[in-house]
Amino acid sequence: MPVDRTLATLLYGAIAAAAAAFGVGPWAFGRRPSRRLIGLANALAAGLMLGAAYILVSEGLTGPAAPGAAGAVLGILFVYGSHAFGGTADLQLNLPDEVSPEYGYKVVVVNSLHSASEGIAIGVAMFLDLRLGIFMALAFAVHNVAEATALCSVLVPRGVSLGRAAALSVLTDVSQPLMAVATYAVLVAAPVILPPTLGFAVGAIIYLTVVELLPEAYTQAHEVGIGVTAAVAMSAVAVLRVFLP
Amino acid sequence: MNGDPETSQILRVLLWATVTALATGLGALPFLVLRRVTSGAVAYANAIASGLMLGASFGLLAEGTEHGAWQPFVGANLGVLFILATRRWLDERDIEFGSVRGEGARKMLLIVIVMAVHSFAEGVAVGAAFAGGLTLAAFVTIAIAIHNIPEGLAISAVLRPRGRSIAACAGWSVFSSLPQPLMAVPAFVFVEAFRPSLPYALGFAAGAMVLMVLLELLPESYEHGRRAPIGILLSLSLVGMLLLQRYL
Repeated sequence: MPVDRTLATLLYGAIAAAAAAFGVGPWAFGRRPSRRLIGLANALAAGLMLGAAYILVSEGLTGPAAPGAAGAVLGILFVYGSHAFGGTADLQLNLPDEVSPEYGYKVVVVNSLHSASEGIAIGVAMFLDLRLGIFMALAFAVHNVAEATALCSVLVPRGVSLGRAAALSVLTDVSQPLMAVATYAVLVAAPVILPPTLGFAVGAIIYLTVVELLPEAYTQAHEVGIGVTAAVAMSAVAVLRVFLP
Repeated sequence: MNGDPETSQILRVLLWATVTALATGLGALPFLVLRRVTSGAVAYANAIASGLMLGASFGLLAEGTEHGAWQPFVGANLGVLFILATRRWLDERDIEFGSVRGEGARKMLLIVIVMAVHSFAEGVAVGAAFAGGLTLAAFVTIAIAIHNIPEGLAISAVLRPRGRSIAACAGWSVFSSLPQPLMAVPAFVFVEAFRPSLPYALGFAAGAMVLMVLLELLPESYEHGRRAPIGILLSLSLVGMLLLQRYL
């Protein structure tokens, strides 16, 4: 197993997770972000997810399609199942005034499962190409900042200190580097499962975008802002991919 | 065939785009058996349409970025602006019609205008897709034709309870999609004449489609449907669309 690439996967996965700490940024500057800003942050996160899905799809277009599609269905069912199992299918993720411990627990669970799927995406990209993997990890780093801002909009009003809110944000993303390294290691050991693994990542992150990020965004910001933010973010990711050597 | 490939191609674009427009009329058919359509049905039809259109936009982007990087990006943003501009135009209409105390008449007219306005983008998408190659065009045509059916359903759901006949529902649905063949031909000819603009046009179609999903279809879905079935339907139809593009 190429040790360099494994370390790079761990390193860039960790950078992506650590970036989540910047999610407390608005509060650190003494400002409570408006609902609209949280909505646009969710839209940005959603657009980056769609862009990441697009990149994986375009990489997978040369591989066999049926295993990829089967993997995608599995990825969709995995996230659906984890929501159904945890009772979080219709959970509103950004309710600043909801203070029950049950709610806080569910939000953290949802965010952790969410980043596990993203970790698989990073691992797949790392296996395909080092630069692609780094690019993917950096895209998720930006995504994590936006997402952590939304998470902090729940944590900070509940009296969680800024330091702890930043730490919790990073903590919910720790599954990213872990799953990235695990996915990369499994792919190195068994390259034949690349198509279904790639499909799994695509299915999972698209489903996550549709059931978590977008519905949340629409309750917070106007649909024009959401649409433009997400569409531009998605096309930017697709275009930047072309510049990778 | 009259031996002029350009003319026969234009006729083919016109034909396919007309087919997508006619598909809109199918949206009236459920009213043959349904007394009233639940808002949930529209929500989930929208989710399926969204998945198909996102899948199609992936194909358009992949095709566009083969010709360059900045061009599809610029094109996508122009597509976004185009949809925004048509919406703004619509909002102005909205205010104008809103001041009229014409109850149902206003609402019926408005839904037809809404659908007709975004059919312009769809027509451009069809025309641009044909320029991108016949395989992709077939999928975009299928995607848009299928996407038109729930649109026709939405129009019919407004018209039918207000006493219009099923034939009138189908007629107005098709009418709302007529901009498709009308726009498809100039978009196709434009692309033919200016090959270098192809990545712009493909990006334009992708941007317009993604924004249409995010602006028109998904908000309505979330309003009337539950997240999990919306997510399942959208992601599965996206995967289905990618499979179609891969295999045919």
